[in-house]
Amino acid sequence: MADNSIASHLQYWTYVVDESNPFMQIHLDTMVVTLFVATLMVGFSLWLKGKIVAGAPVGAQNGAESLVGFINDTVNDNFPVKNPLIAPLALTIFVFIFLVNTLDVLPAYLLGNVAHLFGIHHFRPVPTNDLNLPAAMGVSVFLLVLYYEFKLKPVHFCKELLMEPFTSLVPGFLKPVVMPINLILKLVEEVAKPLSLSFRLFGNMFAGEVIFLLIASLLLGGGPIAVGAGFFVGLGWSFFHLFIGLLQAFIFMILTVVYLSIAHQPVEH
Amino acid sequence: MSIDLTFIGQIVVFLTMVVLLKKHLYVPLNEAMESRTKKIAEGLAAADAGNKAREAAEKEVEAQLIAARNKAQEIVASAEKRAAEVAESATNKARDDASKIVEAAKEEVAAEAVRARDALRSEVASIAMLAAEKVLGAEIDAKRHAALVEGVIRDGFVK
Repeated sequence: MADNSIASHLQYWTYVVDESNPFMQIHLDTMVVTLFVATLMVGFSLWLKGKIVAGAPVGAQNGAESLVGFINDTVNDNFPVKNPLIAPLALTIFVFIFLVNTLDVLPAYLLGNVAHLFGIHHFRPVPTNDLNLPAAMGVSVFLLVLYYEFKLKPVHFCKELLMEPFTSLVPGFLKPVVMPINLILKLVEEVAKPLSLSFRLFGNMFAGEVIFLLIASLLLGGGPIAVGAGFFVGLGWSFFHLFIGLLQAFIFMILTVVYLSIAHQPVEH
Repeated sequence: MSIDLTFIGQIVVFLTMVVLLKKHLYVPLNEAMESRTKKIAEGLAAADAGNKAREAAEKEVEAQLIAARNKAQEIVASAEKRAAEVAESATNKARDDASKIVEAAKEEVAAEAVRARDALRSEVASIAMLAAEKVLGAEIDAKRHAALVEGVIRDGFVK
């Protein structure tokens, strides 16, 4: 049985491929939960797909349609051009992050203890607490942004990388000199997008989990008063964290749409 | 809290999920929603067209009613005129007939009167003859005095 210190609850169920290289390991808990949620979502879509009607919608189709309508509105508000990939991407991001975040309101030790029954010492139930998931999504979005920048306006984008923001502010002979400075600034600006995207989600969810663990350790450590207080504090934090999960899912989604729409903005002359 | 192979795995899972959800959830749902939007728009347009057609039909009906009413009035008027004409001609004919009958009757009466007068005249002549015969006690030559008596009677009747 693992000890109950908070640090031990922040360890992953890890499969190490290569001891010498810290990159060559895989967090099985993150992968398992992610695959589980992904399977649920795809399974739900396959189930719903068979009973979609064009007439009056009922039951699950109502919910799914209002969600799709909401995403469509958000995307159409932001996008100057039509791109059939954006809305499904935003939908996936929103629903997936929200579902995964919602896992966090399960009692903090529950899934870990279930995992202990199967002889697994460390189990982190919420994949968004693992930087790998937010980073993967942020980088995917970033790569998509770069892809569209290069596909839709390659010349303009490269020019922007080299010329913005200083070139127009300095006299002619200095223009080549400021080019590398421009490039560095612009690269920082671009790289900040996936970084802020993933760290925002990761930080929020990780902090939420740590607070759950702190509340739990208070609750288990003190007398009856601490237990009572811990129960109510934990309940309140659960609601708040649920809201944060929804909010973070929405923020991730809307920022993705905004970044991609910037990439789609037609060139101004 | 380190980037490792999970990162690659998550990218694969994420992109696969985007593709699968697009194919199985977003596209079919969107198609259903769009076709419903289209259907509703068509239904509304059809309702509008129906309303317009009904309004046109109502106008048509009203126009036809007015036309029919006018026509009926025309027919009634011409019938009345015709009836008046018929009545007038009948009246005229009846008046003519009546005057003819009256005329004929008058003629008849006149003829009858003439006849009666003639009969009376001859009667009176013979009676006068008889009376005179009696009064005079003498025979009167009827043939000789007939002209005289007849002249008296005629003058007396004419008077």
